[in-house]
Amino acid sequence: MSGGRNDVTARRGASRRLPLGNWERALLVLLVLLTLGLVAAVPGFYPGFGDFLALSENFLPFGLVALGLTTVILTGGIDLSVGTTASLAAIVMAELWTGLHLSIWIAALLGVASGALLGLVNGLIITRLRTEPLIATLATSFIYGSIATALAGDNPPSGFPDSFNRLGTGAIGGILPYQIVLFGVLAAFFSALISRSAFGRKVVMIGYNTEAARYAGIRVDRIVTLSYVISGTTAALAGIVLAAYYSAVRPDMGSILLLSTITTVVLGGVSIFGGDGSIAGVVIAVLLLGMLRQGMLIAGFSDMVTTMVTGAILLGAIALKNLFAGRGTGLATLLRRLRIRPAATT
Amino acid sequence: MTQTIIRGARSLRAAVAALPLLLGTALAGHAADIDTSKPIKVAMVPKLVGLSVFKANEQGAQTAAKALNIDFLYTGPVTASAQGQVDVFNSLIARRFNVITTTSNNPTQLAPALRRARKQGIKVVSYDSDVSPDARDFFIQNTDYAAFGKALVESVAKYTGPDAKIAILSSTPDATIQNEWIKALTAYMKATYPKMQIVTTQYGQSSPSQSLTAGLNILQANPDVTGIIAPDGAAEVGAAAAVQKLGRTGKVAVGGCSDPDSIRQYVKSGIIKESPLWDEVKEGELVMYVARLAANNAIQRNGTFTAGDLGSFTAKDGVIVFSTPLIFNAGNIDQYKF
Repeated sequence: MSGGRNDVTARRGASRRLPLGNWERALLVLLVLLTLGLVAAVPGFYPGFGDFLALSENFLPFGLVALGLTTVILTGGIDLSVGTTASLAAIVMAELWTGLHLSIWIAALLGVASGALLGLVNGLIITRLRTEPLIATLATSFIYGSIATALAGDNPPSGFPDSFNRLGTGAIGGILPYQIVLFGVLAAFFSALISRSAFGRKVVMIGYNTEAARYAGIRVDRIVTLSYVISGTTAALAGIVLAAYYSAVRPDMGSILLLSTITTVVLGGVSIFGGDGSIAGVVIAVLLLGMLRQGMLIAGFSDMVTTMVTGAILLGAIALKNLFAGRGTGLATLLRRLRIRPAATT
Repeated sequence: MTQTIIRGARSLRAAVAALPLLLGTALAGHAADIDTSKPIKVAMVPKLVGLSVFKANEQGAQTAAKALNIDFLYTGPVTASAQGQVDVFNSLIARRFNVITTTSNNPTQLAPALRRARKQGIKVVSYDSDVSPDARDFFIQNTDYAAFGKALVESVAKYTGPDAKIAILSSTPDATIQNEWIKALTAYMKATYPKMQIVTTQYGQSSPSQSLTAGLNILQANPDVTGIIAPDGAAEVGAAAAVQKLGRTGKVAVGGCSDPDSIRQYVKSGIIKESPLWDEVKEGELVMYVARLAANNAIQRNGTFTAGDLGSFTAKDGVIVFSTPLIFNAGNIDQYKF
């Protein structure tokens, strides 16, 4: 082992030489095959280039949430409040727009800012009160959801200006949806943030071994708190985009985001225990799951079948991941031991 | 046993169905006016699949679809989410359905997708819970709101007396149809029973367990409540279960609306005396008739039309009222199986 490489980087390096090959590359091949297959086999899936791209409007809000959630999961945490954060931010925006007659764009900015604030609350609860992220964000998800319901009242605002609705369903030149532009820019930013910046390396380090990171002089609490702020911000942004997509807000509109997004992040190759994963993988997983769902629905499968397949994919992905990454418990570990033992005897 | 009952009911319905047909041919052939030569694709999208009231709609729709040369599809989300419904709509648009019929999880979120469908020439018929008026061609309203509000109040007023303290257990604070009914029942109560009082309004989120908890809370926090009006399927069951659990049968009357299968045991044990609803199976049939007529462009937004053996209906600004409230009680509930 050459100088400068510690155990963490060594293992990460080793995990790149999985027998499966690179996880992201495998996902990418799968995505291309799936898309080509759907285009060829499902009538109505490719009605034209513009309409084909517009399919992504139905699932890219999940991608926005996934970017922030990945940051949190990389630190070894979890943010269960992303769904209610999205709802609450959208409702804050809508109430500022109807109540205070603010411009919708200023209201939207304040909505995103409120998401950052909610994330900050999560982060502070976790780091200052030493609460498990699972419990802390479960609790705040109830609180944020209730506040959203209370704020929304019995007739939540709807009918936003068309210029704003375009964020959800409009396209540049009728071809390139604004949602793709937004997601593309943010995905590039997050990819650079996680894999090229000092912040990103610290995030991964904390997720791999918090104590080691602490002894290495990393301000763990600050980084962890910041990751929840990021997650709150992207969740809020997703809420705003959903509001534009529906041209309406509801206190429960974000509730579907959480579980699908966790599925996406895990499928994207991010270890649910933290410390391993890439934004590229998550982005491919967003497109893969989204295209699969849209394709199956257009092919005439019911929502029931589609949801079932999503569940099966999550199980399969996490089992494969654990099996080859050597983390986790149960059958996966057992299989790994069986796999490794012959090598150890020689 | 049940099989024979159902078969009996079916042959009875067939006989009843044949009657106006015979009369129709004898008079001028009104009922046979509908052009069914071209097959059309019609989808029925409930709030979620697997709920028995929506299954009852489907049952009726299946029957009517066969008679009307409709290629029928029943599909919807697994959970009651607007996003799930929008996903389904998008797939139906891509598959070029002729008519989409739906009962909406909420009126505003579904509107953009349905407007997109209408722009592509797809007819949209909503039933049960409406969407924004500009997002659909026709809306089939279960019953007139005012009439239903009256029926809801009467379902408990007869048993609690005119000066009772009443609690309301609804689904969610922003559920369109429940809010309309609550508005209507409050207005009727004020006019007819001025001394009656609504002491609290709680929400069970359309979940049986949360409704039970809310029902228990109502009874424990307000011991003087003698009637609970629960205008939601899960809420009425929750309220009745709460009364049973606390042993207040006979002291607290529960009214509201739910499908007969869910409340049968409580109606028989006397916790629920009356429960207004409508015939969901026949409503499903009407949905298909309106879908067929809309696809044929044979129905006006204002005017009357004939829907086979269901009789004639009036559309007003695209809104069609299906029926007057049908009141279930211990005497008649066994005639309805859905």
